Amino acid sequence: MQTAWGWLPAIYLFLGGMGAGALIIAATFEFYGKRYQYDFCPTTLVGATVPGPLVILGTILLIFDLGAGLREPWRILYMFTHFSSVMTWGVWLLTFFIPVSLIYGFLESVDTFPAAREWLKARRWLRWTRFLWNLPLRRTKRVFAGIGVVLALGVAIYTGILLSAVGPAIPFWSTRVLPFIPVPMMPLLFLVSALSTGIGLTVDLVGTLTVGFMEHRVKSLPWIHMAFIGVETLLVGLLLITALVDGGSAAQSAREIVAGTHAVVFWVLIIIPGFVYPFVVHAYAAGLGRHSLASGVGSGVGIVVAGLFLRYLILVSGIPAAL
Amino acid sequence: MEIPRRRFLGLVAAGAAAVVGAPLLKGVLPATAGERPKARYALIIDTTKCTGCGACIEACRLRNHLPEGVSYIRRIVKGNDRKPWFLMIQCQHCANPPCATVCPTNATYRREDGVVLIDERLCVGCKYCMQACPYQARVYDEERGVADKCWLCLPWVLGGGLPACVEACIPGARLFGRTDDPESEVAQLIASGRAKPLHPEFGTEPSILYYIIEE
Repeated sequence: MQTAWGWLPAIYLFLGGMGAGALIIAATFEFYGKRYQYDFCPTTLVGATVPGPLVILGTILLIFDLGAGLREPWRILYMFTHFSSVMTWGVWLLTFFIPVSLIYGFLESVDTFPAAREWLKARRWLRWTRFLWNLPLRRTKRVFAGIGVVLALGVAIYTGILLSAVGPAIPFWSTRVLPFIPVPMMPLLFLVSALSTGIGLTVDLVGTLTVGFMEHRVKSLPWIHMAFIGVETLLVGLLLITALVDGGSAAQSAREIVAGTHAVVFWVLIIIPGFVYPFVVHAYAAGLGRHSLASGVGSGVGIVVAGLFLRYLILVSGIPAAL
Repeated sequence: MEIPRRRFLGLVAAGAAAVVGAPLLKGVLPATAGERPKARYALIIDTTKCTGCGACIEACRLRNHLPEGVSYIRRIVKGNDRKPWFLMIQCQHCANPPCATVCPTNATYRREDGVVLIDERLCVGCKYCMQACPYQARVYDEERGVADKCWLCLPWVLGGGLPACVEACIPGARLFGRTDDPESEVAQLIASGRAKPLHPEFGTEPSILYYIIEE
């Protein structure tokens, strides 16, 4: 088992993924017009405002995991310099994602709360920003949402490439999609997991808490949910099967996950709360149109918790190649 | 003679500056002596001689002033209880080092003579290199928060000496030399095909080679 990366990188990978996923959901609502169907759209508001703070928090945790970089912070600047490193790509992506998502969040907030906009406009010490208020708010917002989606896709995918790029050193992390397809699984799995934790946060959790049954607003929502869970189940299954077929320490990682030291984390903290429970809840919602506050919130919390433990599980179950 | 590592890195930097500056001076200086052949180093470990005593591990620890229990060399016991043999692992000084590829700050780099070094003034301590090294040859210096590893005792080698592990090896299982000299023992052993890299399938092309009979 690798011991260099523990909880801090796991939380960072999770926060980066969920932040990116939430922004993609918000932007999807924006571009498909769902945002404007009702006076108040909590999903878009949270999906736009939360990613910035989440990713900032993740980045701070990442800095706390550095050794010399924490003690001599100017060394962090060197991390922008080596483009063969996936970590350098990540540092650049975060550098652009954070301000873009903060601006998008701000624009969504002032669009949702006109009173806040009037209040800001009326401040004398903000007079110098007057020319900005003349910009078309919604069009500007869409520009930042669009840039944000591209960067969010980059953030979500890079967290997976970060792991798969270690190649033969930790075979489980570089497991391919299928034994004969030379595409690493982790970037794909992390992207899908980022989107599903984003939905879990912005739709299931926040949506249910603020407006009740989101299914009334988005009829296809249960189906979208079940499709995501299905795809994620398929990817996790393929990951484990391919790792077992590969043999060696990748197979050992897979065995530890399914029925070994990490089995409790996998089954109790990932599969049940993040896959089984939300699937059942949304199947009920789709079939019977029945949904309760507890089931919506429960599925949101379950998906988010499972997303965190999925990152943790993949980190701790990485076993270096046997020599 | 012992050179503090920080000063050595300064010397390396000065050397690098000299390399960059040399073409500029070429036109000015008279072309006297021919170019010196470029050194390439190799270390061959004969696992049929290695008794696993750990003298190399301890010598490495002492020369590099590492804390108790930490060394750039570690021992893997192979074979079975009746007939064990030992695989001593240290930085393999790869021609294609994954640690240098993943390093976000360029702290890990490969010299022209094949020695892979860490510029610890650049290292942020992200430990990505430790994950990417398929030989798990790196240690983490908790005190300074940087990655650390075998540097082939480069200042001693450049001064005509030997790495500590080679000097200390009791059964004489470690052979160090220059591969750019075809007459050298290491070059001949490599040419004979008996010394092989560990896990060539990693694609790293190490400078440390092993002489292994079993497996």
